[in-house]
Order: sequence, then C-alpha cells, then structure tokens
Amino acid sequence: MMKRCAFGFVLSLSVVAPVWPVLQQAEAACGSVTCFVVIGSQQQVPQAGILTFNTMYNYTPMRLLDGTNGVIPAIDQAGRRLILDHHQEVRTITQTVNFDLNYGITDRLGVQVSIPYLWRTHKHIDGLGEEGANGEGELVPFRDNGIGDMIITAKYNVLPTLRSMIVAGFGVQVPTGSTSALDDAGELMESPTQLGRGNVGLIGSVYQTYELIPHRLNQFFYGSYRHTFRNNDGYQFGDEYNLNLGASGVPLERAPWLVLTGQFHWRYLVHDNISASLERSATPADGAGFPGETIVLDPMIANRRVPTTGSTYFAFSPGFQVSLDGLIDSPLTKWTSLYFHSQIPIMRDSNNNLAQGISYIFGVTRSFQLTKSGS
Amino acid sequence: MRATRRAASGSKLGILTLGMTLLIGSSLVWAMGSRVPTVGTTAEDFQLTDLTGKQQSLSQYRGQVVLVNFWATWCKPCTTEMPAMQAMYDKLQDKGFVVLAVNELEDEAKVREHITQHGHTFPVLMDRENKVANQFGVFGLPVSVFIDEKGVVREYIKGGLLTEQVIRDTVARIQKPDLVKAASLQ
Repeated sequence: MMKRCAFGFVLSLSVVAPVWPVLQQAEAACGSVTCFVVIGSQQQVPQAGILTFNTMYNYTPMRLLDGTNGVIPAIDQAGRRLILDHHQEVRTITQTVNFDLNYGITDRLGVQVSIPYLWRTHKHIDGLGEEGANGEGELVPFRDNGIGDMIITAKYNVLPTLRSMIVAGFGVQVPTGSTSALDDAGELMESPTQLGRGNVGLIGSVYQTYELIPHRLNQFFYGSYRHTFRNNDGYQFGDEYNLNLGASGVPLERAPWLVLTGQFHWRYLVHDNISASLERSATPADGAGFPGETIVLDPMIANRRVPTTGSTYFAFSPGFQVSLDGLIDSPLTKWTSLYFHSQIPIMRDSNNNLAQGISYIFGVTRSFQLTKSGS
Repeated sequence: MRATRRAASGSKLGILTLGMTLLIGSSLVWAMGSRVPTVGTTAEDFQLTDLTGKQQSLSQYRGQVVLVNFWATWCKPCTTEMPAMQAMYDKLQDKGFVVLAVNELEDEAKVREHITQHGHTFPVLMDRENKVANQFGVFGLPVSVFIDEKGVVREYIKGGLLTEQVIRDTVARIQKPDLVKAASLQ
C-alpha cells in the first residue's frame, strides 16, 4: 500500500509512468488529445481581467508503419461485441480547430474553456473472414465533422514570481461530442472514431516555467493526466499521461518579437476497455465456416481490455512564435501572436496499428483586457 | 479477468494520482498565500546595490514617502511611466519623497545605458536574484508600491501606468494626515 501511494505521489509530480505499454488503437490516438504542444499563453493564468483567445489548427495524419498489416479487433458497441482480427486499418486523418478561452479571474486564479471542432476521415477494411468471396472484407470509408468534447479547466498560479511559475489545473472534459456517427455502410462507427467520448473526463495538470536567462531563454514543463469514465455504449477510454519538456528563446536581441521553441512530448495511453462479449473472425482453418459468421469465444458481457489500444508516443516539436505586437505598431496587432509547430515522431509504439505521422500545428493568440487590473 | 483487474487498478492509480495532484496543489497554494504585502502592513526591509555600487536599503528612507517601482528595460509600460516618476522626483524630493527604481534580472550595462540615455537621476537598484520582487509578490511588470514615512504600504499598483497626477495625488494623500496635523497645531 505504501509503495502504491509513493508511486502515485511520483506520478503526480512528474506524470511519468515507468511502464512500457502494449499498443494503440489508431482512432483513439487520433482524437483531440494528439499533437499537443505547449503554447505558453494557453497554459498560464492571465492577469486579472484579461481574456486570452487562442485559435489553433492541428493536422494529424496516421498511417501504417512498414512491416505492419494493421489487422485489429472490431468494436461493436451497439451489439456489445469485441471481435478479434476483424478490421484492417488503412488511414486516419484528423484536423482540429481548437478555440481556447483563457480568463484571469484574479491574478492567480483562472478559468479556461477549450472547444474543439474536428474533421475526421478514416478508412479501414471491415469484415475480415466474413465479407467477400475470400473473406477479404470490404473497404469502408468514414468521415465526420463537428464539435468534440469541450474542456473546462480551473487553474491556479501556485508560484507567482517573475522568474518561475507553477500553474496547477483541474479540468472537466464535458461529453459534448457526438457518439452516434455512422460509416458509409450505415453502421455505427466504433467508439474510438467518434468525435466525442460519451462521458465525463477528469484532467489534472501542472505547468512550470523558469527563466534560465531572464527574458531570453525559458524552460518549461507540462504534465497532465486524464481519466474518462465508461460511456453508455459500455466503452471506456484508457487513461492518458502527457509529459512535455522544452525551452523557448529569443535568438536575436534586436528581434524580441521572434521566439523559437523546441519541446519533447511523451504520451502514454492505457488500454481502452469495453463491456462486451468476445468473438473472433473466421479463418481458413475453420473450413466450411470460412468466410462466414464470427465465432463466439465468450458470450458473457464483461469488461474487456481492447488489445490494440494503449500506446506510447515520443516526439520532438520545433516551432516558432511571432509577436505581431512587437513587429507592427497597430491596434489590430496589440497583444497578438502567431505560432507554428511541427511534431516529428521519434518513437512510436504502434503495434500493428496506425501510427501518428508528422503533424502540423499553427495558430493565433490574442489577449483582451476586459476589466482593469486593480491596484 | 486479468485485463479487468488491470483496468481497475489503472483507474485506481489514476484517481490516486489526481488526488495527490490536487493535494499538493492546494498545499502549495496555502503555503504561498501569505507572501504579498498588503496595503496597511509594514513593508519588509531590503538591501540592494544601486548603479553607483552603493548599498541602499528601504529602511534608510524611513521618514519619507517611498515609491518602490519594479521595472525592466524590455517592459514597455515600465519605460513609458518612468518620465513621470522622474518629473515628480525632481519636484518632490525636497518634500520627503523618494523613488527607488528596482530593476529586475537585467544586465547592469544595459540598465546603465537606458538610465543615462533618458537622464534619470533617481536611485536605480539591481535586484539580480529577483529576491525583492518575490518579497513584494511581483510576478508581472511594472509594479509600484507607495510606502509611507512609517514604512507602511499605502498603495500597491499593478500594471497600470503611473502619471505625474497619480504620483502627486498619492503622495499628497499619504502625507496629508501630517499636513493636517501640522496645520491644526499652528
């Protein structure tokens, strides 16, 4: 018991889980949580009365890695079935525009509302061992767009100093995203591909910065943990651990409006879980039954780990930020910055599933003083 | 079955982690809560070196109204309000008013260049370790703290620009009780 508490304590500080995971369900990894980068203005608590509005576009492609075939189980949440080796993944592309409002209630207490709008296209071969003359399945494309799950976060600046800052956050992911999208064949798409998760998620986070060289070089760290509860379809998304470590700096003293950033991102996703019966696709070894109906292995509806979910992802994100305020003297550019980041995978544990490719993120941040900061 | 158990223990671990995060967060919040000097409390003394290399302390100005201004050369609002501070320093320094401009974390040569270029004559103190800013709960620039003759904080102004009028009015308000007292004795 003591060991477990100590482990929890370490996790809460560093958000590092010393566990090497199994694999990742492509779609699950392609939601609004991917391609996360620390922007700074998004993680901080703005001064009292200041609203920071951040709009971020995010492009995340996912494809199979060389040497993998992408055969994964099917999630049939409507029929409460987990069918092994029933799908073959081809591709997923998720584009997200995240509208982020960050408001300083006091100089130390802030509230943040994140509203994601998603466009998702997904292609997979459905019905392996079941559909087609040779059980080769059929290609089923899927596309959907709409609002994803909103996140409302309360943040507190625990260490408000000029040189360092520690912001602790507690967020609630509200199930505003749809969970009932159908694919082109008219079937309910699997839970991980839906825009929403279908139930509330709780997110704890810590953001820390330290000015290594005042106003020139800044180090930052961000760690977060998410737990989402099981939805009405019996599907529970695995817990998520994120860890970001990076630095940003002003390379030219004469151009303080240009900030270069480099950050490492590590993400660990625990296996998803579904309350379902267990089946498998028919194989040539089944003789006359191939191709044909799926074979029931365990008819009992039980909480089962989805084997091709859970993942580890490690990436480097170079980027830059341009402060228009310092570049152009105009009321239109006041407190406004543009930024661009790419995310380059260094290590991907895709385990025969789709893997996140090079992703791109760009956005604009602008602050508005809504009420006068007091004396 | 094993998968179920693992999932359950994973969830427990997660909730435990979340709980610990909140606990540590709230502990730190509590620990940091009492740092900032509030209006009406006595300002803690500090000692810093000025640009001439002389040691300056807050307590040596006891008996005068002190404007402690936290600033940096890269901070536009800071440099914008400095001419007003200079003007009022020129006018009121013989009437018991002093300005202490506390520079935050900058190179001395850079600060000296700025001060020389703009002809500022008030004492400029170098807070190289960020200690005094932390002592006064400063985490954004500029911050101006007006301290009365007895060393009590009378105004704590964050962000907003100081003007000559604001400084004049604030100093008059702080000194007024004494003036009123003096007038009643005459």
